[in-house]
Amino acid sequence: MKRLFEWLHARTGYRGAIRVMLDEPLPPGTGWFFTLGSVVLALLSIQLLTGAFLTLYYAATPDHAYDSVRFITGLGAGRIVRGLHHYGASFVIIALVAHLLRVIAFGSYKPPREVTWLTGLALLALVLGFSLTGYLLPWDQRAYWATVVTINISKLTPVAGDIVAGILRGGSTIGALTLTRWYGAHVIFLPAALVLLIVLHLFLMRRHGISGPVRPREGRSSAFFPSQAARDVTMVLIVTIVLVAYAWHGAPPLEGPADPTDASYIPRPEWYFLGLFQLLKYFPGKWEVVGAMVVPGIAAGFLALLPWIDRGPDRDPLKRRAIVSAVAIGFASVAALTTLGWRDTPSSAASRDSWTLREIGGRVYAQKLNCTRCHAETGLADPLDGGPSTRGPEWIAGHIVDPEMIAAGMREAPTTIHEREAAAVAAYARRAARDPYPGYPPNIELIAPVWARYCVGCHKIEGDGGTDGPDLTHEGTKHDAATLRRWIEDPEQVDPDADMPAFGDRLSAAQLDAIAQYLASRK
Amino acid sequence: MAHISEPPAPIERRRALVLFVNAVVAMIGGGLSAILGALAFGSRTSASQTRWSRAGTTSDLKPDEPVARVLSVSRVDGWYRARARETVFLVWDGDKTIRAMSATCTHLGCQVRWEAKDKKFRCPCHGGVYAADGTVLAGPPPRPLQTVEARIESDSSVLVRL
Repeated sequence: MKRLFEWLHARTGYRGAIRVMLDEPLPPGTGWFFTLGSVVLALLSIQLLTGAFLTLYYAATPDHAYDSVRFITGLGAGRIVRGLHHYGASFVIIALVAHLLRVIAFGSYKPPREVTWLTGLALLALVLGFSLTGYLLPWDQRAYWATVVTINISKLTPVAGDIVAGILRGGSTIGALTLTRWYGAHVIFLPAALVLLIVLHLFLMRRHGISGPVRPREGRSSAFFPSQAARDVTMVLIVTIVLVAYAWHGAPPLEGPADPTDASYIPRPEWYFLGLFQLLKYFPGKWEVVGAMVVPGIAAGFLALLPWIDRGPDRDPLKRRAIVSAVAIGFASVAALTTLGWRDTPSSAASRDSWTLREIGGRVYAQKLNCTRCHAETGLADPLDGGPSTRGPEWIAGHIVDPEMIAAGMREAPTTIHEREAAAVAAYARRAARDPYPGYPPNIELIAPVWARYCVGCHKIEGDGGTDGPDLTHEGTKHDAATLRRWIEDPEQVDPDADMPAFGDRLSAAQLDAIAQYLASRK
Repeated sequence: MAHISEPPAPIERRRALVLFVNAVVAMIGGGLSAILGALAFGSRTSASQTRWSRAGTTSDLKPDEPVARVLSVSRVDGWYRARARETVFLVWDGDKTIRAMSATCTHLGCQVRWEAKDKKFRCPCHGGVYAADGTVLAGPPPRPLQTVEARIESDSSVLVRL
């Protein structure tokens, strides 16, 4: 064994390389504050490794991305690896910001280290790019809607807004082309740039040596290994233990599959973008560009120019009060905005507890259309209420209208289905995938299909439906059941100028009674 | 926190530090390798779900004569669900019992055919020959044709578990 290493050393001189790496001379007094860079490096390495292994199972297509992420989360090791990658992203941001604040406090960006500083800022920007692109990949509701917001913000770019948004989007809508594009950026382009920048950053760090304590001390410089290395690995160990605890504790979030038709979803960005998200709320209308571009641009510009703004020779923060205060105020503002954004979390779940009439109606149609002949416990296909459906809304709609398209020969030719019936069945399928059917009284099950087939095109109840006619959420406060029944049967009989068509010949008497009573009961 | 200029570490201290650094690096590296290895090479045999599929009724069958049925079954491949077409031969005894055999030759996976003339299954690829009950008569197949669970319902429809 020893001879093998001797041979290898004789051919490569690897021991010299290791010595050069480990014997980095450090100024006297280098201590715990100088471990943060190593923490960032270790965390980025974990991200690169876990990310590389996640690609073994991930599929970057709208039809399969969600399934594959759910599959990964279902594997024991996959849950941990995805957890490390997901929470690790947050850890990288925290460690990077801590490293950045240390460099500012110690004035380490001063000559000759300006370019090291700039490469560090570029690394921060890259990491934010990783966060943004990685957020889309699970293709769940969070991912999809956060990306909708991101791309809409990018439209505020002065002059070239639409071009930038088009480049980010890939296609004409956010879809397959966006996903592959962001995936490519996330796993090829950004990592390549990241590795290059890290090498450059470390090279420059070694070239100038580390800055050391703000007040240079007397004494000999010491080697990185083992004293400072021990501090570094101690910090890395602590951070890694916390990260593993997070990954172990719970699977990273995965909501329902992305659904572009779900207008009720309230998008939320990842926590480190909450500050920016909150800032936008203070710049409504045409001032939005100030919050989206100008303020962050000024902050980025200030950081980039810091070595030239703060030109004095002093590195001691007590002698650079203006700069240190400015950065402290900026940091406090970001922290305050993030906290405000955090507290502004809307309660989106509460309003979605009860099923919409369309979803209930869809369930009635699903039974009427014999969907349950195949979609049953012992049937050829999965039961409709058997866990999350991973198919996108277009797939489901296509499958309902034309079963030959997806399962050729599996089902007799369908009776023609009205598009609204198909939409109702699709709404039901999506809902049933999330929640079990809670059960509704017979009168609701009687009117729900009528509502989903006829009324929903023009009228809205509790936010679901069309906008051509009035919102009927509180119709009971305006009319009684008898008036409503006459109105639905033949509107012109009540008001000669009515726009609404008559439904007397399309609905049975029982249906007319039930829907009139239902609407009258909505106070 | 920061120390005044450190004296060169005594040899024991240095040795302890080296041990500590190496131990931590080995621990993190080992732990990460273990979990990543488990992800990459771990077994993923999700319980292969078999379902009862309809394969027509006994009125379509002839007693003691293998009849081929092409069935569409859903197959789970990791996160991917696909419909696969599988051919099974149904052998009905004319009464209450039915047997089903996969048409896949146990040699290299070609689809065998029923030759009604000499009442044998023949594989077109390498000349494997099976008897009507699926046992190997000649050629390279190592095992008899795979049997598949099958039953007849009270309404005389045939179910096959695939």
